[in-house]
Amino acid sequence: MSLFVHYLSLPYLLEGIWFTVVVTALGLGGGLILGLVLAAMQLSRFWVLAAFARGYTVIFRGTPLILQMVFAYDALPQIGLKLSAVGAAGLALAANEAPFIAEMLRAGVLGVDRGQVLAGQALGMTPALLMRRIIAPQAIRTMIPAFGNETVSALKNSSLASVISVQELTLRSTQLASSTFDFFSIFFASGLIYLVLTTAVSVIQLFVERALDLDRATPQGRLAIFLPWRRVDLSTKLKLAEQTAAPTAPAQAPPDVPLPPRAASRADRAKHAAMVERNNVAVEVTELRKKYGEQSVLDGLDLTVRVGEVVALMGPSGSGKSTLLRCINHLEDWDSGMVRVCGRRLGHRDDGRPLSPRAIANERASVGVGMVFQQFNLFSHLTARENVAGPLRWVHGMTRVDADRRARELLERVGLGHRADALPRHLSGGQQQRVAIARALAPNPSVLLLDEPTSALDPELVNEVLEVIRRLAIDDGLTMIISTHQIRFADDVADRVAFLSGGAILEEGPAHEVLTNPRHPVTARFLSLMEADKAPERTA
Amino acid sequence: MHKWFSTESRPQRMSSAAHAGLRIAALGAFLLAGLCAPMSANAAPAGCAALQAKYPSLKGKQLVNAINPHTPGYEAIDPKDPNKYVGFDIDLGEQIGECLGFTLTYKAVTFAALLTTLSSGQADIVISDIYATEERAKAADFITYSKVFDGVLVAKGNPKKITGINSSMCGAAAAENTGFVEVPLVQALVAPCKAEGKAEPTLQLYDNNANCIQAILAGRADTYVNDVNTVDQAVKANPDKLEKAIAVTIPYSVGIAVPKDKPEFRDAVMAALIEVQKAGIHKELLKKWDLDPNNFKEPDILSVK
Repeated sequence: MSLFVHYLSLPYLLEGIWFTVVVTALGLGGGLILGLVLAAMQLSRFWVLAAFARGYTVIFRGTPLILQMVFAYDALPQIGLKLSAVGAAGLALAANEAPFIAEMLRAGVLGVDRGQVLAGQALGMTPALLMRRIIAPQAIRTMIPAFGNETVSALKNSSLASVISVQELTLRSTQLASSTFDFFSIFFASGLIYLVLTTAVSVIQLFVERALDLDRATPQGRLAIFLPWRRVDLSTKLKLAEQTAAPTAPAQAPPDVPLPPRAASRADRAKHAAMVERNNVAVEVTELRKKYGEQSVLDGLDLTVRVGEVVALMGPSGSGKSTLLRCINHLEDWDSGMVRVCGRRLGHRDDGRPLSPRAIANERASVGVGMVFQQFNLFSHLTARENVAGPLRWVHGMTRVDADRRARELLERVGLGHRADALPRHLSGGQQQRVAIARALAPNPSVLLLDEPTSALDPELVNEVLEVIRRLAIDDGLTMIISTHQIRFADDVADRVAFLSGGAILEEGPAHEVLTNPRHPVTARFLSLMEADKAPERTA
Repeated sequence: MHKWFSTESRPQRMSSAAHAGLRIAALGAFLLAGLCAPMSANAAPAGCAALQAKYPSLKGKQLVNAINPHTPGYEAIDPKDPNKYVGFDIDLGEQIGECLGFTLTYKAVTFAALLTTLSSGQADIVISDIYATEERAKAADFITYSKVFDGVLVAKGNPKKITGINSSMCGAAAAENTGFVEVPLVQALVAPCKAEGKAEPTLQLYDNNANCIQAILAGRADTYVNDVNTVDQAVKANPDKLEKAIAVTIPYSVGIAVPKDKPEFRDAVMAALIEVQKAGIHKELLKKWDLDPNNFKEPDILSVK
């Protein structure tokens, strides 16, 4: 026992810790850099890069670290690259860690909700901006446990550097045992030292996890404010703590939205419709075709929407409504046809050649097509206000003060001023969708696309969202294209209804007319089915 | 260090290293180390000035000596100050360095990695109780300096009655270090054992002496054949559990390994070793480390194409 304590405190062994830590740090740091490069290559659009990264992964994940160490130490000097023992060990460990870290990074990136990426794209964020502001902050949180594991494993793997003469803990232990014959005391002592080191890693991991935990806006969570994506000004910090700590208010909409009864008479509607007919064209879709494999989704679709017009897209699931909306925003490519928004041909240069993703993003931002998704797709690591204000700063270069003011105004308008500092997960579905609408409106889009905005909501939450949309139509005269199954809502809000089936418009016309008096038998059948569905639901 | 203790001599594979036999005294050496330390303060032998003039490029240099520091008496860390390496090979190397005007730093590697470390340029010289064999001389040139005596380490009482690398080892488990010259000798027993209708010997390969000794202590291996001094050290450390079954002379020499592409350096080391021997330092060192004076050997060069 006394020998054990003697070895535990022996400077010779304690100094070995330094080499262990240096090799581990080199391996992890280098592995992180290499892993970032590898992950970027694997996720890249260019298959050659992806293939190269795959090949690297196969080789370095598939061969033992000890061989890689010996290779870095003994073989590299043959080609003139003579690293120190610590350098060679660090290099080998980094090369070995890289594929594992790359897989972690890739899983983290792919694990971020695809809908948030779409929403970011729709807001005009470039791929780099998306990565920095939306994907990375969320991916990093999910990767911390895996990274903790990787650190512990690298720490233990650093002991293999003993084969290439790095004076780390294991080598020093074996040497000491050789000259003193006190095997067990020495190995127990060095085992304990390793345990202390790995425990320290676990503690750091837990601390970082807590610090980055968005739900802990308590003093322990204050580290999070140092992260660029979540800088909360001091004045709101306390408020935020109170609000997120408070139990989520029941999602009763009424106090949120003071509803001005919509008094537009049929005559007013007709007048409105007649007026917009003389307006400029906002969106023009011609001969749009798109196939998923053999399946034709859009089959020569034509649609013209004028400024200030509200068009409801109706039709069965799979009729192409969502695809059409995404094409208008160029979130999806199409096979042939043309989409013009405010006279600009989206997604293509004037000569018809395709644009890069980055250029498309910039174009989206400048043309101004807002989009609201069925699944809300709020950025889940950002508060309601940041969901609105963030893109204004990042994409449109607004100052923090201006962006915050604009966000506050819009949140007030959708009745959520008091929830500005709540995270999306603490909001009801209806509240989330209202935030999403505020976010889409923030850059003053010339057209707002709404893709089944109430389909994912519980029935009692539908109205609060419809009401917000209705006011946009009536009060703001916003140009909107809404895909919806809400017949009454369409009748109420839309100037025109377009009925899609099989990727083309089967029937279109003034909303009330199409909905009450469909000419096409398919439209009639669909509408009667929808009405029939409604009835039992209402009574239920 | 490995050597072969078998009584039959296989001149074609020995080449090297001779240092073996003397290690008996390792424990004593530990105790004496402190007292003997002043010895290294000896002034360099007279002929060394001429050598320094002849090989001026070595003067003032710091060279790297790759060692497998698991052999108390030859090279191991100093238990009193683990930051230092001590032993006969260490002292001899420093005497040669002093003669030629260079100093040495040490790089601790596994036995099997000694020569790869040298040939990759990660070390300049290997003075680590390595036997100079023809096989190894393909990777490095050797300056031999010591004769080899092997001992057979067994558990107390020699339960398997092992008497050497011969048919007494049939069916036994032998622990050896990867790369030791004893390894092929044990492997060569397979056929004779079969011919006698006995079980084959098995080999367990480890990275250093300490692991081989542990294998016997743990009952995993029946024997470990190596330099007799190493064997004696192990017996002294564990007198209740281990014993030396037999000591044999084997036809190898221990050698200093130097890169094949530096003949001038090789010749300089050899010349310095001769000076060190002439001045009586080599024998003093054998005495200091309690090694058998019979280990002394005048240097030869082993170099194969």
